[in-house]
Amino acid sequence: MADSNPKKFEDEMADLEAIVTKIDSGELSLEESIAAFERGVALVRSLNQKLDEIERRVEVLIRDSRGELKRSPYQGELGSSAKSEDPEEDDTF
Amino acid sequence: MAGQLEFQLKTAERRVALSVSQLVRLVRETLELHLDQCWVVGEVSNTRLAPSGHLYFTLKDARAAINVVMFSSAVRRMRFRLDDGIQVVVRGRVNLYEHRGTLQFYAEEVEPRGFGALQLAYEQLKQRLAREGLFDAARKRTLPILPRRIGIVTALGGAALRDLLRVLLDRYPNLHIIIRPALVQGPSAPLEIASALDDLNADGNAEVIIVGRGGGSLEDLWAFNDETVARAICRSRIPVISAVGHEIDYSIADFVADVRAPTPTAAAQIAVPNKADLRGRLFEKQSALVNGVERQTSALRHQLVRLESRLPEPRILLRQLRQRLDTAWEELVEAANSRVSRHRVLLREFATRTRISPGIVAAGRLRVAHSATRLAQAMSARAGSCRVTLERNIAWLNETNLRAPVSQARSRLSRLFNQLETAWRSRLHQQRLTLAGQAGRLDAVSPLRVLHRGYALVTKTRDGETVVDAAQVELGDELDIRLGRGRLYARTLGRNLS
Repeated sequence: MADSNPKKFEDEMADLEAIVTKIDSGELSLEESIAAFERGVALVRSLNQKLDEIERRVEVLIRDSRGELKRSPYQGELGSSAKSEDPEEDDTF
Repeated sequence: MAGQLEFQLKTAERRVALSVSQLVRLVRETLELHLDQCWVVGEVSNTRLAPSGHLYFTLKDARAAINVVMFSSAVRRMRFRLDDGIQVVVRGRVNLYEHRGTLQFYAEEVEPRGFGALQLAYEQLKQRLAREGLFDAARKRTLPILPRRIGIVTALGGAALRDLLRVLLDRYPNLHIIIRPALVQGPSAPLEIASALDDLNADGNAEVIIVGRGGGSLEDLWAFNDETVARAICRSRIPVISAVGHEIDYSIADFVADVRAPTPTAAAQIAVPNKADLRGRLFEKQSALVNGVERQTSALRHQLVRLESRLPEPRILLRQLRQRLDTAWEELVEAANSRVSRHRVLLREFATRTRISPGIVAAGRLRVAHSATRLAQAMSARAGSCRVTLERNIAWLNETNLRAPVSQARSRLSRLFNQLETAWRSRLHQQRLTLAGQAGRLDAVSPLRVLHRGYALVTKTRDGETVVDAAQVELGDELDIRLGRGRLYARTLGRNLS
């Protein structure tokens, strides 16, 4: 239930954008650029992981006879192309 | 006719079966007999104009409804548009449409009667909730960019659910979807939708909830104009997208929801990003990182090559010096020779004019020759020492590698490249340092730690310049002193420059 990631996707994305802008500005020394580059690459990797960390599940939430909330797998149809797995599953980083 | 009716009723009592046609005709005749032309008041809904020009609609009040047909000739006489929801008075007669066995009202004339009651209820609720601030933009939450668990409130087996699942999973194949089924039309729908929203909140997994249904008539969508639903959307801690399948009209739920989507398909597109797009965006960022660093390093590399080309080649320099020495030597020898021969000529002339004895002349000639030899020796010695100095310099130049700084810079650059590559690879295969470790490192190098040992950071209040030399400060200057804890603000009373 609790989010396993201390930092949210959008926050990391914003950090990454800032790093790219900084490196592009040409204001950093070579050493600073390389440090920024390392941080950026780590962020790309973490963001890519975040894209994949959730398992595909379709569930139905109902109340059982005692009135308790219960989740069970959805038995219905999932639509046409939805059954195929993500073709771009290969991790780029 | 009455006689026939009584006869047939008797037949029914004797349990002789009637055909469907006989029964329907019996009902029609009964209606015609007892219900002549009349006026009816009701609310219009489900208006449909057939290609034939006949107008079909439903007339209803709180408890009942009847299908109405108005033939094209009567439609042409109407002076206003028969919109859904308006209250009308209709003149006509009721009769049975025998082909289907359904009751129909054949309208000949329609008069408007202000707004319909449902419409009125909608307007009243809308105004009340708006006054309470339920529609305020400030109340609306932003949707997360990457919700990985989506809650859905709609009817199981409805077109809306099919569309939602298809589009959601197309865009983001590894989603966790939690469906909380609810009836979306009929009298129990508002309560079902509201408790479904509450249940998804109690479950707490969903990061966004989509509540809605596919298109339908105004009555079909009425549950989404109910106050119970509006309140449930309002109290949901999870952001809610409404998707009531009606492109034009807004339901009350649309006004309260954090985001309104015109259809379930649109709601799915709003709720989750396209995973392939996100991947592409990350790849672009990564390329921008690599390109940025590469651009910078190649600029430095070019600068290095340019500087290197401006360094003169030492060997060429030496060759030029040697040449100059050779020329100078030749000139010197030539000058000496011409001087010796001039002296010889002078000596001969002198001897001729003065008729000095040949012995004296020979002695003089000997002296001249002797001087010439000494001159040649001296010049040669001088040239030799010049040559020695030159050779020493050449040796020094040969020993000293003028290109050493260049190659040092080059190796530093390639070291950085190696570091870059190592860093890259280690990021590929290793766990990232923990945040705690980084924080520790940061703390260790922090200037604040030095301050805690009793040192102070002094800056000029005027321009924030750090003071490291007493000469930077004039008498009376205000100073800002940062200590391990807190700051002091001081004025310069005196200074000692030593």
